[in-house]
Amino acid sequence: MSIKVDNLTYVYGIGTPFEKKALESVSLAIESGQFVGLIGHTGSGKSTLIQHFNRLLKPTPAGTSGQVFVNGVDINGVDAKGKPVNIKAIRQQVGLVFQYPEHQLFEMTIYKDVAFGPTNMGLTTDEIDERVRGALTKVGIDEADYEKSPFELSGGQKRRVAIAGVLAMQPDVLILDEPTAGLDPQGSHDILMEIQKIHDLGGITIILVSHNMEDIASFVERIIVMDQGAIRYDGTPKEVFREVDALEAMGLAVPQVSYLIKALREKGYDLPGDVTTVEEAYEALRKLIR
Amino acid sequence: MAIISGLNLTYEYKIHNEEGVVESTHKAIKDVALDVMKGEFIAILGHNGSGKSTLAKHINALLKPTEGTILIKGMDSKDDEHVWDIRQTAGMVFQNPDNQIIATIVEEDVAFGPENMGVEASLIREHVDKALVAVEMTEYARHSPNKLSGGQKQRIAIAGVLAMKPECIILDEPTAMLDPSGRNEVLKTVLELNKEEGITIILITHFMEEAVLADRVLVMSEGEVVLGGTPKEVFSKVEYMKSIGLSVPQVTEVASKLQKDGATFNQTILTIDEMVDAICQLK
Repeated sequence: MSIKVDNLTYVYGIGTPFEKKALESVSLAIESGQFVGLIGHTGSGKSTLIQHFNRLLKPTPAGTSGQVFVNGVDINGVDAKGKPVNIKAIRQQVGLVFQYPEHQLFEMTIYKDVAFGPTNMGLTTDEIDERVRGALTKVGIDEADYEKSPFELSGGQKRRVAIAGVLAMQPDVLILDEPTAGLDPQGSHDILMEIQKIHDLGGITIILVSHNMEDIASFVERIIVMDQGAIRYDGTPKEVFREVDALEAMGLAVPQVSYLIKALREKGYDLPGDVTTVEEAYEALRKLIR
Repeated sequence: MAIISGLNLTYEYKIHNEEGVVESTHKAIKDVALDVMKGEFIAILGHNGSGKSTLAKHINALLKPTEGTILIKGMDSKDDEHVWDIRQTAGMVFQNPDNQIIATIVEEDVAFGPENMGVEASLIREHVDKALVAVEMTEYARHSPNKLSGGQKQRIAIAGVLAMKPECIILDEPTAMLDPSGRNEVLKTVLELNKEEGITIILITHFMEEAVLADRVLVMSEGEVVLGGTPKEVFSKVEYMKSIGLSVPQVTEVASKLQKDGATFNQTILTIDEMVDAICQLK
């Protein structure tokens, strides 16, 4: 499922002393099945942008403009029969996992928590069961834990259950806002691997918002960089992480290994200029010192 | 001189069922010994649920050990009469900047601590001004905190603790929610407070590159301190760190892979500069 944003501008608190332009003439297209990383400093407009993808925010109040298309449908417009687009369907297709999603767990058991979304979609008990099991399997939660309280779990596991709750709606687009914040290195890696696997199963578009440049470099195929409400860069990790000075000026960074290779290149060593992961740095240096 | 001295620290949580009856117990920390010297910078690493935060909360008497004793500047946290002195000696900064700011003006927020301590009004001004200078936020003194960036908010939270003139600051994952520049701002502030003001720092973090900056690293797993030493000692154990859900800085990992191939470095590589030097020596 593709997402297209056309000339989107959004202003918070228009006419008040707190007026702030959060997005300015943003246009972008994300093709079906892509795994995209969205980076930018705090306040750069990332969250405002992703909330437009399932109409949690819409460009209709004063001071805002532009269009958002999901699979070619203008989600703020009308359908073929002239009726407003069914927003419930859009939100089921475009699933949004907020920061610290485990804070939104509320049911008595893991199973019930994940079943909440599909139940509200009016599915049959069998369909719900299939979806709950499917979603929990995808995030690596054991059947033995289904009847446990979600609150008994560790931080990383709670977060998986919360992600399963969105997956159970079988979205075509999965947006994750900082899914690894506050997790230990193993927990972060495991969750990203699960997300990677879900992507590899095919058919799902993934948008990963993160402040962790190392994670972004290792997992996504395309990076969109936001700064002051606009898109500054859009390319592969190798293309984007070459722009070290520009990224730093925007309050961002590049992976530590990219800094290492840059420092060595400045010393005159013949190394590739597009190293972004530990593996690549190891390979490049192995050849160098052999 | 030890500013914090904990022995046989154990903290047992009671898990209640719906009727409020204790169903089971869980030891979040087990028989932990902790000695921190005045002026030291300690980093605590550990997987989620390893007991890091529980241990940290013992240092300013937010939790009291169910077994064992912890002394903060010689004061036993179990003596209720010392609680306020302990909290003034050892201040705490938490993960989420938005949960720690209460006033509508930056300088009023920073003044909250000293006001509650009953500091004389003229001195409060001095404490607040100095604290804002220390975190380089003086120009924002009269601003509203809600328009600040995450890094700026964390620096205000640190200033709020500094205004109480603590000898020790405990930071529980202060950079987990920040962007790269916010993370750098907070770390720079923490290092300056440690090196220039001599404030004892206890930094809990999941970022291995932050732990590299400490004098000493403690590693927790399953409620116990399983490893302790200088960053070089701790991060030389790459496989062990990974086996307990942790990691090492990217350059350390690259160096360790090269060593397995036969490259020899005369030290554990922890920083970009060290790695650059090591490569220069090889070539």
